[in-house]
Amino acid sequence: MSKLINLTIDNQKIQAPEGANLLQVAKDNGIEIPHLCYHKKLTPTGACRLCVVKVEGMRGMVASCAIKAEEGMDVTAFDDELEEARKYLLDYLLSEHNEQYDGNYYDEFRDLKLRYGLDNPENRKFPSIWKELNYPVDDTSPVLRYDASKCIKCFRCIKACDEVQGKNVLSFAQRGITSYIIGGYDHWKESECDGCGECIQLCPTGAIVEKPHAKQINVENGIEKVRTTCPYCGVGCQLELWVQNGKIVRSNGVEDVSPNYGRLCVKGRFGYEYNQHKDRLTTPLIKKNGKFEEASWDEALDLIARKFKEIKEKHGPTALAGYSSAKTTNEDNYLFSKLVRIAFGSNNVDYCTRLCHASTVTAMLRSLGDGAGSNSIEDYENSDCMLFTGNNIIETHPVTATFVKTGKRKGGRIIIMDPKWTPLVKYADIWLQPKLGTDVALLNGMIRTIIHENLIDKDFIEKRVDGGMKSFKALSELTEQYTPDYVEKITGVPGELMQEAARIYAKAQKPLIATGMGFSQQVTGTHNVFSLINMCLITGQIGKEGAGLNPPRGQNNVQGASDVGASPFTYPGYIPVTDDENRQRVAKIWGVPYESLDGEKGLSTVEIMQAAYDGKVKGLYIMGENPMVTDPNLNHTLEAIKKLEFVVVQDIFHTETTPYADVILPAAGFAEKNGTVVNSDRRVLRMHPAVNPPGQARQDWEIITEVARRMDSSIGEYNDESEIWEELRKAAPIFTGINYKRLEEHGIQWPCPDENHPGTATLFLDKFNTPNGLGVLHPVHYAEQSEKANADFPFLLNSGRILYQYHSSTMSRRNDSLNEFANQAYVLMHEEDARKHQFMEGDKVKITSKRGELQTVIKVSNHVLRGELFMPFHYSEAPVNNLTRDELDPYSRIAPFKLSAVRVEKVR
Amino acid sequence: MSQTTVIVGLGSCGLAAGAGKTYQEFNRIRQTDKLNFALKKTSCIGMCFREPLVEIIDDTGKYLYGDVEISRVDEIIEKHIKNYTPVSEYIIESENFKSEDARFFDGQVKITLRNCGHMDPENMDEYEARNGYKALRKISDQNIAPDKVIQTVLDSGIRGRGGGGFPAGMKWKFARNNSSDKKYVICNADEGDPGAFMDRSILEGDPHSVLEGMMICGYAIGASEGYIYCRAEYPLAIKRLNIAIEQAREKGYLGKDVFGIPGFDFQIFIKEGAGAFVCGEETALIASIEGERGMPRRRPPFPAESGLWKHPTNINNVETLANIPWIVYHGAERYAEYGTENSKGTKVFALTGKINHGGLVEVPMGITIKDIIYKLGGGITDNKKFKAVQLGGPSGGCIPEYLSHTTVDYDSVNATGAIMGSGGMVVMDETTCVVDVAKFFLDFTQKESCGKCTFCRIGTKRMLEILTRITEGEGRESDLDTLEELALTIKDSSLCGLGQTAPNPVLTTIKYFRNEYEAHIRDKKCPALNCKKLLTYEVIPEKCTGCMACAKGCPVDAIEGEKKQVHNILQDKCIQCGLCYTKCKFEAIRLS
Repeated sequence: MSKLINLTIDNQKIQAPEGANLLQVAKDNGIEIPHLCYHKKLTPTGACRLCVVKVEGMRGMVASCAIKAEEGMDVTAFDDELEEARKYLLDYLLSEHNEQYDGNYYDEFRDLKLRYGLDNPENRKFPSIWKELNYPVDDTSPVLRYDASKCIKCFRCIKACDEVQGKNVLSFAQRGITSYIIGGYDHWKESECDGCGECIQLCPTGAIVEKPHAKQINVENGIEKVRTTCPYCGVGCQLELWVQNGKIVRSNGVEDVSPNYGRLCVKGRFGYEYNQHKDRLTTPLIKKNGKFEEASWDEALDLIARKFKEIKEKHGPTALAGYSSAKTTNEDNYLFSKLVRIAFGSNNVDYCTRLCHASTVTAMLRSLGDGAGSNSIEDYENSDCMLFTGNNIIETHPVTATFVKTGKRKGGRIIIMDPKWTPLVKYADIWLQPKLGTDVALLNGMIRTIIHENLIDKDFIEKRVDGGMKSFKALSELTEQYTPDYVEKITGVPGELMQEAARIYAKAQKPLIATGMGFSQQVTGTHNVFSLINMCLITGQIGKEGAGLNPPRGQNNVQGASDVGASPFTYPGYIPVTDDENRQRVAKIWGVPYESLDGEKGLSTVEIMQAAYDGKVKGLYIMGENPMVTDPNLNHTLEAIKKLEFVVVQDIFHTETTPYADVILPAAGFAEKNGTVVNSDRRVLRMHPAVNPPGQARQDWEIITEVARRMDSSIGEYNDESEIWEELRKAAPIFTGINYKRLEEHGIQWPCPDENHPGTATLFLDKFNTPNGLGVLHPVHYAEQSEKANADFPFLLNSGRILYQYHSSTMSRRNDSLNEFANQAYVLMHEEDARKHQFMEGDKVKITSKRGELQTVIKVSNHVLRGELFMPFHYSEAPVNNLTRDELDPYSRIAPFKLSAVRVEKVR
Repeated sequence: MSQTTVIVGLGSCGLAAGAGKTYQEFNRIRQTDKLNFALKKTSCIGMCFREPLVEIIDDTGKYLYGDVEISRVDEIIEKHIKNYTPVSEYIIESENFKSEDARFFDGQVKITLRNCGHMDPENMDEYEARNGYKALRKISDQNIAPDKVIQTVLDSGIRGRGGGGFPAGMKWKFARNNSSDKKYVICNADEGDPGAFMDRSILEGDPHSVLEGMMICGYAIGASEGYIYCRAEYPLAIKRLNIAIEQAREKGYLGKDVFGIPGFDFQIFIKEGAGAFVCGEETALIASIEGERGMPRRRPPFPAESGLWKHPTNINNVETLANIPWIVYHGAERYAEYGTENSKGTKVFALTGKINHGGLVEVPMGITIKDIIYKLGGGITDNKKFKAVQLGGPSGGCIPEYLSHTTVDYDSVNATGAIMGSGGMVVMDETTCVVDVAKFFLDFTQKESCGKCTFCRIGTKRMLEILTRITEGEGRESDLDTLEELALTIKDSSLCGLGQTAPNPVLTTIKYFRNEYEAHIRDKKCPALNCKKLLTYEVIPEKCTGCMACAKGCPVDAIEGEKKQVHNILQDKCIQCGLCYTKCKFEAIRLS
């Protein structure tokens, strides 16, 4: 905290932090000095001059945005002379300005015009000249429109793009009065603009406006604004949805509030359209004679209850299983797991986390005692070394990436470990590009370098690592063989570069690691993360402010679903299902006999399908998941799902999975939901309903309780979501201090033990959450992959995500804006491979693995290594998971989506 | 008997006047006639009005020839080189002869331009033979500490020659005192004022002196890299700089432990500007080097604290840096002998406009404007009446004839409302309309405004509109007040020098020639007979022969009259194009 100083503005005595921006100080104290170019998120520009004030001791009028508050300052913000100067200036600005106003945005300039009476032409000195200036309009972007005649060159958009989003797409073209803003070299569409719309949100005059619903919106008439949490990735951006006539017409970032502080990505700003798409499910459907027919809720729910009960009676509780959902709220997930545990009577509940960060969480739980990210998203801003392992953060967590870019601008270094180019490479200091599946060797090499160059933190090892220097010695001995040459031979990464990366990481003060799917979705996923943690522990780069290990989560409630116990292994708050004492405690809260709760671990996501294939699981309840796209080895999944006796899918759309359902239930979408979710930095965030569910669609938790009730098994009676939360925070000790009221303004990071606790920004500061409070080293050797390229399958295929689409794309592909940016499947192939095998850009190809095949088109790109390929997995017409394996990581049961041996053939 | 040497001036000005062909012609005849004279190149010695210039040196002395067009080469070779008979009618100056034009050199003191026109700029040995790199050698030999070097620069009293006039030594001191692992020296060679070519001539004529100046600065402030930001419109300057940098590298004058000074590593790079005037402003220039759009940044922080890539940076212009080696080599006292109390040394001016001897002059500070114009410049073209001089380009102001006793030094020039600027001196005679001049400069700044500051962007446009309408006879009574009001707001509220000075030409012309503005506004008359829309063309009946040339030429059929009859111009049709005036062979068209 900087020192407080005293100053006076218009005779008002004010206290402010020393060096604070004077304009902002005035604003914070209710003195609204007119301004246009200033925005508190941006560095001051000093271009518009509207914020002029008089400061005792300074000559003339000075722009308050360019002045820092000082002790004893005596400021005049309003007097006749200043007001006259402002009016004169507005008059000036208006003369080059197109004043047409269609009401679909807030026009700060127009407000000032009215305030100074300049709407009356008689009060004006300067005739309008904007028409003769022939300002251009850039209409080329899929999502926005720039009209230079409405632009006052305040630079907010440019700075929004540069300073807030770190994208540097916008610039200023031409000179003097003919100058205007351009995207890239000229046209927005051809620029690197990715449509995040930060510029739209910060434009004060409507020169940049968004295209969707532009004609309908009138900001002064009938707009309701509802704050909620973005439905896409795990950043948990706070959105302000604009609702008009029961329809969402705009989505803005909520300023001043964590985690996004007003920032959004293209999906958060333009991806809401799916919620009101005509394809939404509006009524329960029952499959009769192979066809779905509309049914009443009673009919559907009774059928479900009856079928599940029959299966349970006939084959026992473990013949039933449920897929919970990272796309629903904590309250929904909590009740779903309760349904499985109480009504089904087993622990066969899991969800897509098993497909993404299961290995990370497993390794972290074993080594550190907690599977969640140790730090806050904002910490990237102040980190001096950011290591990204298999994490395409700009595309998968675009708003977190803005903090990363700020950190870079402040001098932080970026190291990337990824076999495939990601957009962050442009910002990186070092890019290590290991061959697919060789990460453990690379990390062991780095660990050896750190040990050999004595960059370890001996004190930390002795105090905070289980077994101290003895355990360290074992690691040291194991990694000794990973010499730079040896590592280079395995990974293809130049030894020097690997060593340099190790040094930067080990020497940093506040290094952060963000690990992603590239690391976790491998047969060796848990080993990968063990190695990573080994490196953290021996360097002491965890357990202090601003340093640690973070697995950014892919969906808005992957974190929460695990937190609340939608897991075959743990109860709410990560307490193992095998913990009898806890089961006793929870049984009381739930009002059920302790004995009725199964103390055996349940089946995990992929295991459930395998059990179905083996005929052990007969009935499956799927809430908001789409395994027919997201599961590995889809042909096998298809066989399995077909074998199931009874399948319920509860979703908002027909998906690739619904054809295999017996009953389809229409659920509420994100903008219809009340409740909470947890983002990647353990922040519990509120969802607020903005619109009503379509047709007969119902809230997930309501459906779940109904199913339980009709199975004659109460999982509780609740009037609303807050009542569920109140119970949940008793069941999960990490949430004890969090209530809905506290969440209205800000999210709170768990653990939060009591209602006065502010939440926990950094984990492991004093101890780890392992039984003895110490971190555990798990020395692991590099192991060759069982799946290898060979003569029949000469390429290794990697898969992943892109910015504009999302997961199985049931949501993202129902947004025209997003589809305009990207809507076609492809496979990336290195140009040397393309030349060697005579493939051309755009060639139609068939890709085949031992498991299956698909068709797509070639994109020649050196973003992949020779011999490796990459495909986005979003497109069901080219389902990558036809090719992937269901051979699982032995510890975490995660599937190796990132490595499949394939061959590529031209399709004639 | 030693070999005769022929030196052709091949600066951009010389080349424009055909010196390239002159050089080739000397070479051609030398080869065909198998003559034994040495043919060398040099750059401009400033005498633009007599280009192409050729100097011939033989046993009898040095001869400076002017206007040596290709057709005169044969004659000069025949008479002078073959027969030792100088062709006196083309000689400007020799050891025992001085033409009237040679007075151009009288009163000049060549410190900055010490080598220009006296050596081959592409030959480093010639530079070294003229005390080149001796200043650095002196620093090395005498082990002069950086602070001592800065003290010398401070003591010399040299002020920034780019226009600001800030003491160069102070700037160096600030940059030195800001500690950083990396510092930069920037040479501002983005000379953009219309009518200014001082820096170009130095770069073309003596590139090594600028490099040496930068290296001394680098040593003094602790910088290891230098950038020369040179406008791309100066291809010859860039070429010669590149050659000079390459030569200096080869000889080890750039690189590691330069001049044997341990730890003094220095490299120089060239960054070509893309022709934006505002990039002459130091923060915009830095932005441009960084790859950003060249737009001024807020100061503070000043570049000495946070400049190029946020490191301490010292920026001087070409002329300032070219002086540095001389100052360090000869000592501060020698430099301070020239000039006035507060403006030491010499200043280079580019003389242009309605003057007989247009060109580049270097004069000691303290000389009067009158002396420059009449003694060096040979007076006003066609013996017209001297009206005013524009000093400092578009940022500067107009100094009227009655203030021509003003001495050239920072304080005196500023007192007139003009600025010293970088040294452009545009001379106007009685036929120049000051409103038109103000309009010209404002049109320039208006187009060159980067567009960032509201007042500069819109205000200059609005001022231009008013000036345009005044010159078109549409001026209003309130216009002068509005102009002054706009001018003051632009000056007060612009971020950079461009905006802060853009109104100067208007303000000074209103100050000194208010009645001329009023004549335009009230009487709809242009006293200088320059603003076309305010002119009337009339036939002088006594002189008109009725030849019909004017009537036939008139594009709007505004002239009536039968053959051999006195013609008449229909004023309501006339568009004041002036074609009749030029067509008439009998001077029978009058302007009023």
